[in-house]
Amino acid sequence: MRDDPTVVALVTRAAASDQGAWDEIVDRYAPLVWSICSGFRLSNHDVEDVAQNVWLLLVGQLGTLREPAALPGWLATTTRRECLRVVTASRKSERLGTELDEAAQFVADTVVDEEILVAERNTALRAAFAELPPRCQQLLSMLLRDPPCSYGTISATLDIPIGSIGPQRARCLERMRKSSALLGLIEVGVNFPGGDPGA
Amino acid sequence: MRNGWDDEQLLGALREAMRAREAVPSWFVEMGKNAYAWHNIDAELAQLTYDSQADTEQLAFVRSETASIRALTFTSAHLSLEIEVGKDSLLGQVIPPQAGTLETYTKAGLTTSPVDESGYFAVEPIPPNPFRLRFHTSDGADVVTGWITL
Repeated sequence: MRDDPTVVALVTRAAASDQGAWDEIVDRYAPLVWSICSGFRLSNHDVEDVAQNVWLLLVGQLGTLREPAALPGWLATTTRRECLRVVTASRKSERLGTELDEAAQFVADTVVDEEILVAERNTALRAAFAELPPRCQQLLSMLLRDPPCSYGTISATLDIPIGSIGPQRARCLERMRKSSALLGLIEVGVNFPGGDPGA
Repeated sequence: MRNGWDDEQLLGALREAMRAREAVPSWFVEMGKNAYAWHNIDAELAQLTYDSQADTEQLAFVRSETASIRALTFTSAHLSLEIEVGKDSLLGQVIPPQAGTLETYTKAGLTTSPVDESGYFAVEPIPPNPFRLRFHTSDGADVVTGWITL
């Protein structure tokens, strides 16, 4: 897994009592923890239980994480383990056997790498977007809406000629592509949805 | 473009990244941020060493009547917290008896209860699950339980 200098810096600062750095860690990786919990189809109550434990464990280990750069992997593994604990506890109360638990463990282990990759890619994309100038963020946000805003609406809202929306869109995306957050990702050749990474 | 990151794919990937974040409820993120309150709290962990309910389940075959009051004991190397779960409150005692402060941590925050010379304390009403109890004194004793779900 690549070494993300931002993550290392955030972990170091959070370990040194910087609440802002901690908040950023949570903002970055809450989607990862959330998506893993969603995969287990837990109740809201159990999701709270799991997440509470995951973040508390991380708080307790900030100073001793052996490889801060591996934080996403650590979070994914810890979340999965906590989810399995909750699932196993409810299974036991339903008097079901351990075979199911073993099956769940197997599925859990095989899916985890994919989820970490997706989460890292999403984190990098959001970081790259956040580095864009406000005009680019506004334009791309309007294009990302579902359904996307029409060029007419964009032209009126952002006060730019319709003819220059296309070129501006291309320039903004090119800027994103060149941001440090995405360059690391592209070098590693991480998959993106529906695309062929080996092209 | 290397690795085929054309405009449409990049935009599509960005859309997916934004949706993944939008799917996360704000309470979930807040809870994660609040966990930082536990940073640098260097309290000794008190483990659950007795739970009357666990006892009751084992004895259910031989005893038809079960105790109506649940009792829990949390033990650390230096002291114990004994707790009885009443109807409306938690009643407890620190062993060995000593005065200090009892803090109850829930997801909503923190409440404080005094602990008298005999080590007795009361938490009222019963805190919502899960919660944690922390006892500390002015002379440096500091003990915290794990998350308790009654």
